Amino acid sequence: MERFPLQQKMYTDLEIDLLLEAIYRLSGFDFRQYNRSSISRRINNRMRMNNIPTISRVIENVIHEDGFLEQLLNDFSINVTEMFRNPSFFKAFRQEVVPYLRDYPEIRIWHAGCATGEEVYSMAILLQEEGLMDKAVIYATDMNEQVLEKAKRGMFPINKMQAYTKNYMLAGGIQAFSEYYKTDYQYAYFHPSLLKNIIFAQHNLVTDQSFNEFHVIMCRNVLIYFLPELQNKVHYLFAESLSKNGFLCLGDKETIGFEDIISKYKEIVGNEKIFQKVE
Amino acid sequence: MLNKLKIGIRTKITLGYIVIILCLLVSGIILNNQITFLQKERNYIITNDTKTLELTNRIERNILDMESSQRGFIITGESSYLKPYNKASENWEYAYDELYRVLENKPTQQQKLVEIKTAMEHWITTSGEPSIKLKKENNTEALKEIYKVDVGRKDMDAVRDQFESLRSVIYANMQAQVNDLDKRNSIVTLTLLGILVFISVIAIFIANGISRSIVNMLTKVTQTIQEIAASKSRKKGRIHVKTNDEINALVAATNELLDVLERREWLQVNIAEIVTKHQGISAVTKLAETFLSELAQKTQSSLGAFYVRETTDNNVLFVKKAAFAEAGDDVGIESFKFGEGLIGQCALEKKVLMYNDIPEDFRLIGTGLGVVSPKSIFIVPIIFENDVIAVVELATMTSFSELQQELVKQVIETFGLTVNSVLGRMEIVRLLNESRAMTEELQMQSEELQAQSEELQMQTEELTMINEQLEERTKEAELKSRELEQAKKELEESAEQLLLNSKYKSEFLANMSHELRTPLNSILILSEMLAENSQHKLLEEEAEFAKVIHSSGEDLLVLINDILDLSKVEAGKLDISFDEMNMSEVPVQIEQIFAPVAAKKNLQFHISKDKNVADVFYTDENRFQQILKNLLSNAFKFTEHGAVNLKIKQLGQEHLTSNMQNVSADWLEIKVSDTGIGIPKDKHQLIFESFQQADGATVRKYGGTGLGLSICKELSRLLGGWISLQSEEGQGSTFTLTIPSLPNGIEEQKYFELAVHEVVATNEVRELEELTEEQPSEIQEFSQHEVEIFQGKNILIVDDDYRNIYALKNALEKRGMNILVAKDGIECLDILQTNDEIDLILMDIMMPNLDGYETMSIIRKQMKITDLPIIALTAKAMKTDRDKSIEAGASDYISKPLNLEQLVSVLRVWLVSKGS
Repeated sequence: MERFPLQQKMYTDLEIDLLLEAIYRLSGFDFRQYNRSSISRRINNRMRMNNIPTISRVIENVIHEDGFLEQLLNDFSINVTEMFRNPSFFKAFRQEVVPYLRDYPEIRIWHAGCATGEEVYSMAILLQEEGLMDKAVIYATDMNEQVLEKAKRGMFPINKMQAYTKNYMLAGGIQAFSEYYKTDYQYAYFHPSLLKNIIFAQHNLVTDQSFNEFHVIMCRNVLIYFLPELQNKVHYLFAESLSKNGFLCLGDKETIGFEDIISKYKEIVGNEKIFQKVE
Repeated sequence: MLNKLKIGIRTKITLGYIVIILCLLVSGIILNNQITFLQKERNYIITNDTKTLELTNRIERNILDMESSQRGFIITGESSYLKPYNKASENWEYAYDELYRVLENKPTQQQKLVEIKTAMEHWITTSGEPSIKLKKENNTEALKEIYKVDVGRKDMDAVRDQFESLRSVIYANMQAQVNDLDKRNSIVTLTLLGILVFISVIAIFIANGISRSIVNMLTKVTQTIQEIAASKSRKKGRIHVKTNDEINALVAATNELLDVLERREWLQVNIAEIVTKHQGISAVTKLAETFLSELAQKTQSSLGAFYVRETTDNNVLFVKKAAFAEAGDDVGIESFKFGEGLIGQCALEKKVLMYNDIPEDFRLIGTGLGVVSPKSIFIVPIIFENDVIAVVELATMTSFSELQQELVKQVIETFGLTVNSVLGRMEIVRLLNESRAMTEELQMQSEELQAQSEELQMQTEELTMINEQLEERTKEAELKSRELEQAKKELEESAEQLLLNSKYKSEFLANMSHELRTPLNSILILSEMLAENSQHKLLEEEAEFAKVIHSSGEDLLVLINDILDLSKVEAGKLDISFDEMNMSEVPVQIEQIFAPVAAKKNLQFHISKDKNVADVFYTDENRFQQILKNLLSNAFKFTEHGAVNLKIKQLGQEHLTSNMQNVSADWLEIKVSDTGIGIPKDKHQLIFESFQQADGATVRKYGGTGLGLSICKELSRLLGGWISLQSEEGQGSTFTLTIPSLPNGIEEQKYFELAVHEVVATNEVRELEELTEEQPSEIQEFSQHEVEIFQGKNILIVDDDYRNIYALKNALEKRGMNILVAKDGIECLDILQTNDEIDLILMDIMMPNLDGYETMSIIRKQMKITDLPIIALTAKAMKTDRDKSIEAGASDYISKPLNLEQLVSVLRVWLVSKGS
């Protein structure tokens, strides 16, 4: 259909609105406050792969075609992660945050949006090396249950392990990285003892509330997919869920954009986006 | 106060001086009089006394001249001597008269003078005159005579004495007068002193009085000023004086100054207040609201609106950012352009506009009680760098005072800067947010790209896998197809054989059944007759036997009929005659047959027929009914509780496949469903086979031949349709008969097509089954990957310990790796220079000649081999070793003593190709 670009955009917006509404009503997953550019790219990607001409057809498929909704939900959740991602962050965490954590009788860490769990295992290794694992509990949550299942298995493709080894070393690892895993031809399997104090649970930052008080909240490269209002909402959730002097760790490109929230934190390692709650 | 005479300090001082000067003048006049009087007195004394003396002397000289002249004449007789005498006698009387007059006021002196005159006259008369006469007469005798007596002399002496006396009296008089003058003089001096003292006293009094009056006022004013200065309240007191002089003017001026200061202070305080409120505001709307509400409060405005200039697409528009209304509702237009209305005019001209004559229909100000229209409006442009960047409009029910206007104007002066800086800050924040959003967007996109590339990678991998599998399958398939062709031929042959056999069998069965029926008929008829026992010859028991024989015979007949039907069908001997069938009768007929059965088994039986089912349907009515009856009797047979339903429905066009449409446009779907024991999924196919029931137990419980469904299936095929089954064990079952309306019968070709229809469905199921079966074998295939990782990889072990080398070599060669050995770093470098096929180095650290760190550094930095994985073998628990290894360029490290499993894991990690 020939339309003016502006009109086309309006129609596309409407279609996306309807699609997201349908997804929300059908699955309870609320992407309505997600960044539109990302969402529309994901939709386009799926349309290209399945040869679907219009978003309206996508809606139809979501409603009538078994399994399509699940597939689309999977498309929407971006599960890009790696072990010791941004090694300098883990190094800074080790140097600046761990000394605080030593004094606590117990440490509760919330890893929000853990995807396939690479960073959760990284944190577990770090805590183990610092002798804190026994008193720590890591709550690793994601909205996507499929990736959580993957995360629980603790197995990662072997071809990524070279990069992870480098990251581990750059992050200030004090053992041989190979002490934590075994391999077969396809995967590296991480030692089950790392899993001892990790609790994996489904949690949706958009719709769910806080479930505990934490000393550390890690939420790296998750909020970038949200619109500012939703980011703000989630930041409130984090601020509520953090204990006094608790730490908030964000992705290296992320910031707390809202003045009333930023005033609750002080930046303790500026470049690594580690914030400490001040009140 | 206006009537009150103004007596200034100047007047006071002037008056004082005038008084003093008057006093001085009076005293001067008095003194002058005194002095003049004294002068006159003195002059009088001088002239009078001198005259007196001179006259006295003249008289005396005259008398003396007369005497001497007389004597000269007498002596000489010369008349020339007589001249002085005559002159003197003539003159002296004049002198006397004059002197007498002079001495008028001095009787004593006059007395003396009279006496002198008398004496002189006496002389003249007695001596002077007679002697002269005598001389003239030359009477010398007489003369002698006279002289003898000499009366004249005596007179002369008396005159002289008298003169002497007179003179002394005059002198005494003069002395007395001089003394008197002296006395008066000193009185005058005293008076002068007195006056001076008096004037001084007066001057002092006046000076004191005036100065006191001035100083008092000044002190009072000063005190008041000090009090005002000390007072902290914003509203200062005022100075009050009762006088009406310069002080009053000063006080008035001071009060005015205070007024001005107070106003200025009010301005400054309010400006400061307003300005303070702006600090830290970062949004222009908030700023506008704060500013407007402050301003409205300070100016007691009832309405207000704040517009900020916004430029969009070269359009300059002033947009409302805040409004203020005491009534709380929204006021003001949303936006305006330059020159639009008064406010636009204000923005255009950059001028403050003040209107006091508001038209009646201007917006009304709402209060709790009603609405009033405002009295004045005040429009002020906010200017920054000579551009109007915002406009404020205020309206009030009263009017704006000068001070309020001034406040607004002054606040506005600096407010432009504030607005501009807030706008600037907003712009910065916006840009910051934009850049942040862009950074996030970038991060997001890069993650998405990564995810996509991972997906793609996975897809590619999957595709490769599938491709490989496909290739293998193709090969297998080719092989199989050849085998199949072979088998097909064989099958075809045997099928022909089978067909023939089956035909023979069926023909045989058909013949047999026919042959069987003939004797069976006689058994049935005779046993029935026996059972009727019409002549009551048989015992009751015997009659019962006969009944059993009859019913068994009937069962046998049914069985034989079934076999006959089936064999006829299979042998192609069944005649099908398509004809009109009245569908509306079908339910009635079925009802009649099965209602008793249902009642007997205590089951519910429902028949329903859709309204759109046409009354006329072309098929073989007998065969159709046979199928229905079969299905229904089956249903009743296997159902103990619940219900049996029959549903007849027309198939809509949308449900027809093209194959079906080729056959007929009119299809019926008849569903027979029950709530009976149901059929397990794996038996669905089986029950349509001849002589089959779900299992043996069923046979035992329900009896029956198991031929019914086979016959139904075959019959339905002959009618151009098919039967399908939905059932689960224990859930009841539904048989669906789908048949076309065929007015012209059916062609052979169509049978085939329909058969394909069925076959396709079953094949799909088989394929799926194959797939699931194949999965385990895949895993076995993959285990070869394991070998692939290590197979043929060249590992260089650099270690100086033979035992280590031996152990490692042994373990790794078992896994298919080629092992090269270097005993120290130098050897290692030699090998690397000649052999570029090394896949991985295991590097011990502690070695002679060239240790592991140095070797690695040389490899990485000098030989520039950066991609070759080097695993350093470090001593356990020595972090420095590890750090140094990494620094030297190790890819990974393992602690000694080596754990074989760990080593293998690490080798897998570093030998696996990154792409796979």
